[in-house]
Amino acid sequence: MFKSLFAFRKPLNRRTDLVLGITGFILFLTMWEITVRSGVIRPEFLPSPVAVVQAFVNLFVERNFASDIVISVSRVWFAFLLSVIIAIPLGLLMSTYRFAGAILEPFVDFVRYLPVPALVPLLVIWFGVGETSKIAVLWMGTFFQLILMISDDTKRVPVEFVESGQTLGASNGQIMRHIIIPAALPNMIDSLRITMGWCWTYLIVAEIVAANSGIGHVIWSLRRFVKTPEVMAGIITIGIIGLLTDQAFRYAHTRLFSYLRR
Amino acid sequence: MDNFIQIKDVAKTYWSNDGKIETKVVLPLSMTIGEGEMVMFLGPSGCGKTTLMRIVGGLETPDQGTIHLHGDLLTGPDRRRGMVFQSYSSYPWLTVRDNIKFGTRYRKDISAQEKEEVTDHYLNMVGLKRYADFYTNRISGGMRQRVAIARTLASSPDVLLMDEPFGALDAQTREYLQFQLMDINKAEKKTTIFVTHDVEEAILLANRIVIFSSRPARVVREIKVDDILSIEDRRNGTADMDRFFKLRAEILELIRAEYAHTLEEA
Ligand SMILES: Nc1ncnc2c1ncn2[C@@H]1O[C@H](COP(=O)(O)OP(=O)(O)OP(=O)(O)O)[C@@H](O)[C@H]1O
Ligand SMILES: [Mg+2]
Repeated sequence: MFKSLFAFRKPLNRRTDLVLGITGFILFLTMWEITVRSGVIRPEFLPSPVAVVQAFVNLFVERNFASDIVISVSRVWFAFLLSVIIAIPLGLLMSTYRFAGAILEPFVDFVRYLPVPALVPLLVIWFGVGETSKIAVLWMGTFFQLILMISDDTKRVPVEFVESGQTLGASNGQIMRHIIIPAALPNMIDSLRITMGWCWTYLIVAEIVAANSGIGHVIWSLRRFVKTPEVMAGIITIGIIGLLTDQAFRYAHTRLFSYLRR
Repeated sequence: MDNFIQIKDVAKTYWSNDGKIETKVVLPLSMTIGEGEMVMFLGPSGCGKTTLMRIVGGLETPDQGTIHLHGDLLTGPDRRRGMVFQSYSSYPWLTVRDNIKFGTRYRKDISAQEKEEVTDHYLNMVGLKRYADFYTNRISGGMRQRVAIARTLASSPDVLLMDEPFGALDAQTREYLQFQLMDINKAEKKTTIFVTHDVEEAILLANRIVIFSSRPARVVREIKVDDILSIEDRRNGTADMDRFFKLRAEILELIRAEYAHTLEEA
């Protein structure tokens, strides 16, 4: 039993995986509770897990937190999809035609390194404090990363796949549709999953700086009253949503690409 | 048809990335290959066999010279020249059967019904019927290479280009595939260029063996194996062993001499 846990670079069975994952959380919560009870840290700074759970419930009952969650999730998905539908064709174009790569790559690399938080004031000047500027922040933060990731994913398709397609009589368009895209798809879905994570990071940036709704706004406005349990509940909400989204992506990945399993 | 494939004055030079070091890979080289002929390329490692084969396949452009197939000037890759690569190029997102069927996908000369039949025909020929619905990462390397060969055959190319297709396989699988290739050749008489490092494999399969010099590749010797050992004898294992070993020794000596040049240069 123990020996199988330490099998070098071998997968565990699903049950064990799940149990270990939950154990990690329980360990963390226990340490937390112990720290609070020991009284080393004042509860204004670190409330107990129980207080956070209470605050979590309060948020829903008293502050209509559910609607903030819906707003944040919609913003994330809207910006995410907007990034995806533009980045995929451009990424494919970039990896396929040298000229497109030559034109886009230096520019994309440049923008990619601009710190998104620093762009927020500019985006607010351009788009105001409405929804547009928030979407713009998320989009700026993800699009330029995603386009390079998609381009890399397709570049990594083995040359033999493309060349065998050519000698089987496929046209360039057919090679793209029938070989390159199916070959790169598993990695592309992974890239989307990672991008989704960044969306949440930038969402909070956007909502803290300029918003009157959404999870980030709730967290930031409660901070002023030092409602630490509520602030932590808000943060944990994001963690939970992130975890669920990530798991959904992973699940879809294993279902769609069962052929990758050995 | 004797000059089914006509390679004329083909030359290729590679340049290092900074454009300073040139590597002449193929000297102006001419050669003809007859219809239905099985030609084996032998030569020291790095001499330019793959390069020449890729030029014939249209995957590499020569700096000069031309390739004609059946009198047509060839420019890029197409279905007339099917390539089997050394690395396994079967598609992981398709099952064994769908991989083979992919070979028929761009054919316009047969109906959808016939495509199914062709697929089953080659599926059986390479002995993978039982694995038809397996994805290719669940089958062995040898099976994957059989999938790649069947897929290429299903596309019905005029010329089959095989670059050390059995190089990474174990001895038994290799032998099994060699005999399968002989069967295919008997049934269909496919014009084939086959690169190998295995002299016995070359003698077993060839109508003609072409031995190349060290880089840049030029033809050192051509041997019509058919004149020495009949193809039937080789297939049935009744070939004269004395002649076989004499031929093998002669070829090995030629390659060894060329290989020595490669080392001197390095
Ligand atoms: N794309 C390339 N760019 C630069 N040099 C190359 C390229 N492809 C091949 N070469 C060089 O050309 C020479 C011939 O290569 P090639 O692959 O044709 O040899 P080969 O005869 O097939 O060797 P082997 O038997 O080891 O497969 C080698 O010295 C190699 O380094
Ligand atoms: Mg080679």
